[in-house]
Amino acid sequence: MKMDRNKPDLQHESLKKHPFGVPEGYFEGFSTRLQQRIREEESSPVPERRMGPTTRWLAMAAAVLGAALITTAIVRFTGTGDSNGLYPDMALFEQLEIFDNDLYLYEYLASESPELSDEEAFTLQAEEYLATNDVEMDLLFDQ
Amino acid sequence: MPEWDDREIIKAVKIPGQEEIAFNQLVKKYQERLYWHVRKIVISHDDADDVLQNTMVKIWKSLPDFRSESGLYTWLYRIATNESLSFLKVKKKKSFAPWVDVEQKMSDNLEADPWFNGDEIQLKLQQAILKLPEKQRIVFNMKYYDEVKYEEMSEILGTSVGALKASYHHAVKKIESMLGED
Repeated sequence: MKMDRNKPDLQHESLKKHPFGVPEGYFEGFSTRLQQRIREEESSPVPERRMGPTTRWLAMAAAVLGAALITTAIVRFTGTGDSNGLYPDMALFEQLEIFDNDLYLYEYLASESPELSDEEAFTLQAEEYLATNDVEMDLLFDQ
Repeated sequence: MPEWDDREIIKAVKIPGQEEIAFNQLVKKYQERLYWHVRKIVISHDDADDVLQNTMVKIWKSLPDFRSESGLYTWLYRIATNESLSFLKVKKKKSFAPWVDVEQKMSDNLEADPWFNGDEIQLKLQQAILKLPEKQRIVFNMKYYDEVKYEEMSEILGTSVGALKASYHHAVKKIESMLGED
């Protein structure tokens, strides 16, 4: 039976068909290409890198700067949130395992919807996230 | 040559001199299933080819240490899923325009993709699926296209059956809503 294009039915067989194709002979040749790649990887040794004195100093300076930045970030973002903090509740963020792009989305949402307070914008985002992702509810209420 | 079963593959891997034969049998048996699982995550054929090769190389290196606690297929599927997600993560980091969503770019490129054979409604479905969060997209694809049982999916993704059912249910609702839009 043909599907009504104005009312797509997810269970209709025409939608369940894979819409993707592959180049002809792709699977037949895959094993050969794979073996070639494994042989190449196993036969080429990792080149030894030597650092000159200038590079060594620069590397040390970069490591110290990196450590300072990480320490600052940890001090700034750990602990429970308060109304003056940048994020309402970083502990909750960690438990929800929100990644960088979700933090970016939070900021975007807050800036694009100025009529929402920071807390309201976050709550909306969090509710949506909880409803649609596999958050372990136990983690949120762990005492 | 008849296809080996998983027990034969696992047994042969542990016999010196038989590792390569066992691995080739594994590739022959699982390459298509793993390819399609990866392809549905990364969308592009070229990217799926890269990820599948990365997956198989990882399997080759890890096979001697494989413990049979989880089934072989579950283990392979898990590696393929993780490799696909890592690939997308790297792709996002390497993007020259990080403010543009990578999934949005994949969606925009789909229509012009020479290896996309779907009609208008299938295009709309794929674009709707791409709007889901990554993990929910994987759950939807595994249930909707591959009809993987929730218990098996739970082992592969390390998520409870209840959470997977909720995730799939919400995914279906969102997609139906998007497909219903003009």
